[in-house]
Amino acid sequence: MGNVSESIVRLHNISKYFPGVLANDKVDFDLRKGEIHTLLGENGAGKSTLMNVLDGLYLPDAGEIYINGERVRLHNPNDAMRNGIGMIHQHFMLVEPLTVLENVILGIKSEPFYINKKKTASQIQEISDKYNFGINPSLKIWQLSVGEQQRVEIIKTLFKGARVLILDEPTAVLTPQEADAFFEILKKMVAEGKSIIFISHKLNEVMKISDRITVMRKGKVVGSVKREGTSTEELAEMMVGRKVLFSLDRKPLEKGAEILRLENVQAFNDKGIKALKGVSLSIKSGEILGLAGVSGNGQQILSDAIAGLKNISAGKILIKGKNIAGRSPRFIARMGLNYIPPDRLRTGLIPNLSSVDNAILRRYACDPVSRGFFIDYSRANSFTETLIREYDIMVPRRDAPVKLLSGGNMQKLLFAREAAEKPEVLIAVHPTRGLDIGATEFIRKELVKQRNNGVAVFLISEDLDEIFMLSDRIGVIFEGEILDIIDIKDADLEKIGLLMAGLRDTHRTPKEMTAATR
Amino acid sequence: MFTHTNPLSVYRAILTGAFGSTYNFSETLVAAIPLILISAGLLLAFKMKFWNIGAYGQYIMGAMFSSFFALHASQNTSSFILITVMCLAGLIGGALWAVISALLKLFWEVNEVISTLLLNYIALYILDYFMHGPWRDPSSHGFPLSKSFAANARLPILLQHTRIHLGLVFGIVATVVIYILIKKTKFGYENKVIGENPTAAKYAGINIFRNTLIAAGISGGLAGLAGMAQVSGIIHMIQMEINADCGYTAIIVSWLAALNPIASFFVAIILGGLEAGGYQIQMTMSVPFGIVGVIESAILFALLGGELFKTHKLVSGRKKSHHPIQ
Repeated sequence: MGNVSESIVRLHNISKYFPGVLANDKVDFDLRKGEIHTLLGENGAGKSTLMNVLDGLYLPDAGEIYINGERVRLHNPNDAMRNGIGMIHQHFMLVEPLTVLENVILGIKSEPFYINKKKTASQIQEISDKYNFGINPSLKIWQLSVGEQQRVEIIKTLFKGARVLILDEPTAVLTPQEADAFFEILKKMVAEGKSIIFISHKLNEVMKISDRITVMRKGKVVGSVKREGTSTEELAEMMVGRKVLFSLDRKPLEKGAEILRLENVQAFNDKGIKALKGVSLSIKSGEILGLAGVSGNGQQILSDAIAGLKNISAGKILIKGKNIAGRSPRFIARMGLNYIPPDRLRTGLIPNLSSVDNAILRRYACDPVSRGFFIDYSRANSFTETLIREYDIMVPRRDAPVKLLSGGNMQKLLFAREAAEKPEVLIAVHPTRGLDIGATEFIRKELVKQRNNGVAVFLISEDLDEIFMLSDRIGVIFEGEILDIIDIKDADLEKIGLLMAGLRDTHRTPKEMTAATR
Repeated sequence: MFTHTNPLSVYRAILTGAFGSTYNFSETLVAAIPLILISAGLLLAFKMKFWNIGAYGQYIMGAMFSSFFALHASQNTSSFILITVMCLAGLIGGALWAVISALLKLFWEVNEVISTLLLNYIALYILDYFMHGPWRDPSSHGFPLSKSFAANARLPILLQHTRIHLGLVFGIVATVVIYILIKKTKFGYENKVIGENPTAAKYAGINIFRNTLIAAGISGGLAGLAGMAQVSGIIHMIQMEINADCGYTAIIVSWLAALNPIASFFVAIILGGLEAGGYQIQMTMSVPFGIVGVIESAILFALLGGELFKTHKLVSGRKKSHHPIQ
């Protein structure tokens, strides 16, 4: 497609095998000079593999790479860099105690033994000014916000002479306003003649920023479209291979009695820093309270504290009026609270044990499954069978370790186990993180079903679409405090975004906000 | 080869020495008894990733605790009562020694590999003190040996003309009990969850403190019982040399058995055969007994090396093209 001569990068017929998986199957992709070309697809669709091929991390098993019409072989990221291609990974590769300058020159082979810091600093400053990065090269990385660190990563690649930037899910760590500011930077870079490959699975931002969009599914390219000629719905359908329902069956809210109440809850994190500075909230039967916030603002400690996994230093946690602060996790679970933790493989499941052993984690000591000192494994098996059937979980063999299941099926098993306890309070933290669209849809539906059945649901998520789609009320956590809780009908993205950046006063403009977050 | 002997004939000699005749096989079982007992306990601790490598010291403590009663009981005590008391003393002595490490781990996060290992030396020196001090038989001409145990303090022999003693029954019972404990009970399940994912165990409200103490106690207790069985069933006295090294061999047994209690019973007999056969070759072919240790270590290395290939796969080609997907 397109005119080959204007392609700055062209991948032709790329195939890449991994043991048991065909990660890229005869993939074609081209990037024109001065465009933002999005690579869209679910987790495991092969986007990252393809980009790692272009970045020289993987050698393709078949296919050719052309840069400016010339065939090249890229054996490592330095090869790619020499060809003007730089990749910015999702996880930053920065050394925190070092300065921006030191990070930028790190690993540059051409740098002479004696480093002319002054000259380099002014070069960095030049790049920073050109694109409005606002980065001071002498600051240490740890002093910078996440958004600024991301810009340092970009400076690093530009400094090495990149003309093509590959950005792997760059907005995952940003607030909506930061993301908008970031998109402005991207547009500016494109206007300066850079070309950008943008990897994402968030449909809204894809529609906002891209010139062209290539959709991948199961290692193959489904199609390439122009932004003007497509819609979110069409993209979603291309991604999943079927129509996706964006609406959920939500009964009108029938709020019941208050089930969970937090009063001035305070807690310290493992480093001894106060991570919760007096959290108060209340959730009623039959509602979903969504908690938005940039990651690392105390969400995990909050959910762990409620579930009894983390001690609190002050305050009260009440379930139906009874204070459960300081009680054991099992006591709290018996009070009717169930917990879907953020890290399913670290906390929620035991990766090396079978689905049966995982399914009975809440039940092994209770009546049908246990008989006195013993576990009745035939009943444990039938209990597991019921969960697998009801939640349509794909389990190859009952005795196979759950780490072999797909992320979606793991999460379904975890969800099924917790829901089977018939909770009165359900805490779900990042319940759909890393899941494909199908599993995401399923889990969201089930959460709403729980709500409709009168469960008080506390949803903590970094995915704002999810928060807006599911919540009855939205709270925002920032640096261990809940800044505000807003009814869904009064909430809009901008308001929530400003709160996520720590601004209670929503009259200020986004620009002042960016300044304030530094 | 080092000893200028044909290795194959040595192997054959070991095999005959171990399984060649009824008497030889009975000696194999005698050597296997402490291995059976200790490895049954160890695999329970290993399943919850409590790395008890202190069976050596727990064995010594069990032997000493029970010897105390053997040496101080009146000759007129009924054998049944005295043996029962000695068994309990052996269990408790070994269990206490292991529980010390468990408590150090639970309260101060002291690594149990280090604490169990160091406690081995402490046990050895306590034994040394008693053997050169209060327990030395005045008529032993200065050798660190105690008085011989009276008949009522000796474990009964199961088969005439052999040295197979009641300890074999203890071993069979322990194997069955540990099997049921691991496969059928809530304790076994909790044990497994703690070993595989302590965070999930905490999340599910499993009492890690209690379970660690129990698992450490059982593994130490069985090692202590093995020590008791050895002094009461074979040596009939307490001395410096009570075959405590089997506390280390048992580690190899439980790993060779992949932490399966039934398998470990049979592996213990095979390694017991190596031990018994080792004595044979020393006598008949003048090959040093140390060869047995060499073979055991070679087995362990092969085993550990093999583990690597269970989780890793040999691949050819360029290294950098084998990053995992995403």
